Amino acid sequence: MSKTSDYNRVSVLIVGGGPAGLAAAIKLKQLQPDRGVVVLDKAKHPGGHNLSGAVLEEECIDELLKNIDPNWRNNKGSEIFARKVIQDDTYMFPSKTSKINMGTPIKLAKLCQLGFGKLVHKGDTLISISQLTRWLTGYAQQLGVELLHGFAIREIIMSEDKTKALGVRTQEQGLDHAGNKQFNYVPAEDIYADNIVLAEGALGLLTEQFVNEAGLKRKATPLFSVGVKEIFEVSDQQYKDFGDNRCVHAMGYPIWDIISGPKMFGGGIMYAMGDNKIAVGMIVGADWKECDFNPQEALVHFKSHAFVEPFIKDGKIIEAGAKMIPEGGYHAIPRDVETKSIGRNNVVILGDSAGLVNMLKIKGLHNAIYSGIYAGAALAACGDDHDAVAAAYTKLLDASSIDEEMREAANYRQVVAKFGNLLGFPISVVGNLLPRLDIEPDYEAMKPTKYKYRTEKHFDKDAFVAAGNVDHREEQPCHCHVLDESICENICKPKYENLCSGYGRPCITFCPAGVYDLVAGQMKPVNALNCLHCKTCQNKCPYDNLRWFTPEGTGGPDYKFS
Amino acid sequence: MNYIVLVKQVPDVSQITDNAFDPETGNLMRGKLATVINELDAQALALANRMVTLENNPKSKVIALTMGPPMADEVLKYSLARCADKAVLLTDRALGGADTVATANPLAFAVRKIAADMDMKDDYIIISGMQSVDGDTAQVPAQLAEELNVPCIAYATNVQYKDGEFEFETAISGGKQIVKAKTLPAVITVSKYEELLFPTIAKTRWANDFETLTYTADDIKATQIGVKGSKTRVIRVFPPPKTQRKCQQVNSVQEFADLIKESCKKDDGVESATDAKKADYILPKLRTNKFDRGYEGTIKEIEEYEILARLLKENGVKSTSDVTDEIKAKLLKSKEIKLNPRTVDALISAFDAKDPAYQGQVWVMAEINHDGKSCTAATFELIGKARHLADSLNTQVGVMLAGANVKHFSDGLIHGGADEIYVIEDEILSEFDPWPYRKAVAEVVDKYKPQIILYAATHQGRVLAPMVSYRLSCGLTADCTSLDIRDSSRKGEVAVLMQTRPALGGNVMATICTKESTCQMATARPGVMQKMDPDTSRTGKIIECEVNVSQEDRSIEIVDTQIGGGAVNFDADVIISAGRGLTDKSSFDNVLDDMTASIAKLGVKTERGASRAAVEQGYIERLYQVGQTGTAVGPQVYIALAISGAIQHMIGVENSQTIFAVNNDPQASVFHQCDYYMVGNVEKIVPELTQLLGGK
Repeated sequence: MSKTSDYNRVSVLIVGGGPAGLAAAIKLKQLQPDRGVVVLDKAKHPGGHNLSGAVLEEECIDELLKNIDPNWRNNKGSEIFARKVIQDDTYMFPSKTSKINMGTPIKLAKLCQLGFGKLVHKGDTLISISQLTRWLTGYAQQLGVELLHGFAIREIIMSEDKTKALGVRTQEQGLDHAGNKQFNYVPAEDIYADNIVLAEGALGLLTEQFVNEAGLKRKATPLFSVGVKEIFEVSDQQYKDFGDNRCVHAMGYPIWDIISGPKMFGGGIMYAMGDNKIAVGMIVGADWKECDFNPQEALVHFKSHAFVEPFIKDGKIIEAGAKMIPEGGYHAIPRDVETKSIGRNNVVILGDSAGLVNMLKIKGLHNAIYSGIYAGAALAACGDDHDAVAAAYTKLLDASSIDEEMREAANYRQVVAKFGNLLGFPISVVGNLLPRLDIEPDYEAMKPTKYKYRTEKHFDKDAFVAAGNVDHREEQPCHCHVLDESICENICKPKYENLCSGYGRPCITFCPAGVYDLVAGQMKPVNALNCLHCKTCQNKCPYDNLRWFTPEGTGGPDYKFS
Repeated sequence: MNYIVLVKQVPDVSQITDNAFDPETGNLMRGKLATVINELDAQALALANRMVTLENNPKSKVIALTMGPPMADEVLKYSLARCADKAVLLTDRALGGADTVATANPLAFAVRKIAADMDMKDDYIIISGMQSVDGDTAQVPAQLAEELNVPCIAYATNVQYKDGEFEFETAISGGKQIVKAKTLPAVITVSKYEELLFPTIAKTRWANDFETLTYTADDIKATQIGVKGSKTRVIRVFPPPKTQRKCQQVNSVQEFADLIKESCKKDDGVESATDAKKADYILPKLRTNKFDRGYEGTIKEIEEYEILARLLKENGVKSTSDVTDEIKAKLLKSKEIKLNPRTVDALISAFDAKDPAYQGQVWVMAEINHDGKSCTAATFELIGKARHLADSLNTQVGVMLAGANVKHFSDGLIHGGADEIYVIEDEILSEFDPWPYRKAVAEVVDKYKPQIILYAATHQGRVLAPMVSYRLSCGLTADCTSLDIRDSSRKGEVAVLMQTRPALGGNVMATICTKESTCQMATARPGVMQKMDPDTSRTGKIIECEVNVSQEDRSIEIVDTQIGGGAVNFDADVIISAGRGLTDKSSFDNVLDDMTASIAKLGVKTERGASRAAVEQGYIERLYQVGQTGTAVGPQVYIALAISGAIQHMIGVENSQTIFAVNNDPQASVFHQCDYYMVGNVEKIVPELTQLLGGK
């Protein structure tokens, strides 16, 4: 192994090759071209695990590229930025057939500088985050960043005093179902680094490990939403009718309505994606209470709404996927107790891993990229003073627009969670004047209540997974763990068996990929090979009895348009 | 020992979408496809790594070799990140457009150069995937072995190391064999070795820094390269016909049983893939109309000639010598057909092309079943096809019959449609060893000079055919689904064999012609062609051939042969799968036992399968899993019992000719993707169905 001995060390190790991680790599390499930078990502291809809305506030790209490619808008590949939002519609769906245009109230709110008014996307860019990631990957490559895809990281290696990290440990490869070593077994590999950047996305496993071990604290419980999305290829006429530069956000049906009172947080989306593609999705706060609900069932109803259906009828689903969105906001950002840094010493936490989503705008992509830019700048500025990076990064971030935005939106989601939609939205106007609200974690929200709208037939999760191009190596230990099977059998089963119509358990219901299923009457994570890596299970089991681990590298979805 | 692994970059055929085809031409736009390492080559790399581990010699080196455009470097990086110590990229524009001969030849020269440069002497083994997913011919490794004149062990599935020698487990028709190479170097081709290697971060970073060696055409001095060195040319490429499922509900079990019986009958599943409007070929000199060019390879050509013939007739032309410059000028002005002066001349002189491009008989290479008692069904299927071709060409059907004691099969072959049997008997030919076989066959072919030879694309044929064709410098097309005699008049070629085959994992069809060869050779998969009803009144001639083979010609030592055994045979005619809709394992077993037994009585080969859900329930071993994960199958008949029809399962069976389904859920998605279905309880329907099919 002498031929490879130098390759287990690197100066800067970035975990996660999404927009935040790539932005950090690109910024750092601009400032310090000779610095060794490795980006690790568990997806098989760049962008393969990246899924989002997405509406992008483009200035962050300017900021990132202004010194190396100021003309990026006219260069190769920039057609992914071609769709500026011209028509920005927000509707309230009171029922399956009706809609109220909310454009005016929102504009009014904007004029009055109310938080609610931030929900304006005009001038932003409709973008595929998977394509954006691939595009940024190109820049990172040009700058000499080492991009390594298909490597899953199991854990972060902490220093003895747990104040910093030394490196990361990869997931073993080549174990069979039962955990026996096959001929092709490759043991875990340790990669050491001076600085580690955690940019894993929502509910990152290393981030959570580091937060725990290094003693970082969140003032508020991190909340999440679960988003599910399908990309339709529709006819020329349907696409023309919808509009190439249009995004639609819809509140109300099918997750809450005025008559039955507020139910869940969230709404439906429709984004034009070019080439006759329309993304249709449903984002639902993971604090939903109905044990027989999942966002896909809501998506079925949303798609059959009188406004939505004509645009996608007979369309072909060319891609589908699911992800979680961190919605805890300002107070849920993990910080070092003493220094308040987002990270500690030589470790920084970026983007969705840190929870930098602005819930007033329902946007986090620009913040993720800015956080990457600041991390890159901090790494360059600190040079050999590796342990100063967390503080330097946080200083840049706290002085920036991100901080301002996040503070502004700080209590919004919590207010809605606390008071419900009907009351919550109006109260959120003054939300920031209220004290910090503490909310239960998502998994405690579930109650033995039932979802109002029923579908005749369950959502076809298999087809959904197929459209997500999900693939895992068959022979490997199951990466979705049940902590205590007796809880499933003795506590969960009696309570929920008959309530989760057809599914039989909450986890079988909520997992968008159908990972959990009954085998001879017992709940098992039997279809872990279908896993979309959304981690909803980690966050939504009513008994907090499920844990998600990274499977072997390259496993998971392979998004191309999402 | 050193290990040279041949790796190839191929389009990711699992990612081919409809819009990857040019709507105008039907051509696949390769630029639109992602590329990956050929799956079997990745397996070859894993086998090589296993051999290194077994040999446990620190001096052993693994060298990855690829031929392709500069971007093919990616598959070398893949290899380096896993187990290769060195990597060589053979790249040159002059090497482009090559068929298998013009690929095997430069690769063999590159292997020679590597061996010489690294001073390997004869102490090396060449390992490659059996075939690539894009070309799917399985010819290159065998032809490379032929060029290097080294043993070829094909279809390797495992390896052992005993007393300083490697023993390979290989798949043969209906069983397996343990074989050793008698001399080194040797070529090993891998057909299944699934424990793929994983990269490590450190090795990947090292691989990315590694500078691969680049060879150009000049460096290796190969003798047959590029388009010029190729022995075949592609006439056209087109998308395969799409099968629409009937989705027809059946209410009576009797009707269901009848439909199953009907579908199990072997039909002539061969759609004529050439565009020709007329089915049976007629030689030009026998055609009543001398301007009849209705047997060209493409519709476009046929139409051009039709218009031209009419225009000539309108101008009173009776023979091509009547065509004056004045008439040519008129043709050029015609609005019906766009011509330039050169094409006018070419087309008109094409009417004079009368003599067939090839002379001689149409031959079939016979194959004997492993029990030594009969010739394979595929042999008779090929004779059926050869009969048809020979009749079109006004010639005879010859069959080569090789083995230790095989002459007594001759009558049966004649009854099956053959005119002449060329018997090659020698004790050395008692078991299939590529070297003596290819030497004997080549000698006989060289002596009697047939114009066409058909081989079965079996474990034996897929090794023998490429070696013989390479030895005789003839073109060879693998796995043809359709063989037709057609003209290529403009090239001055009349009555040539147009060979149509699927490529790129069945995503395209290609029609191919042999060029610059004395004989046109093709292989066809068993079950694709149709045999004739045996006619015991037929008579023929038996010609005993003397061949010059000796013990010296042995290239492999067969340690052990096992026929039968528990291997899953998804090449069966009928696959019956069951899913988790069955109550328990015993019900699952009963249903499958009854169904396979009763359908086997219809005289077809059956195999059982299962959905992933059934495997997860522990009803059956994973080996039997059919679907996207598991094995993709394409039998004549696929029967899905109590399977819901998840898309992952149905993708794996979409190449089946007819799909039957039974499920008690009227909403089951399998019903939208099958031909015939019954709604009902499988456990109740199967006993009745079994009875109606002919009992257990």
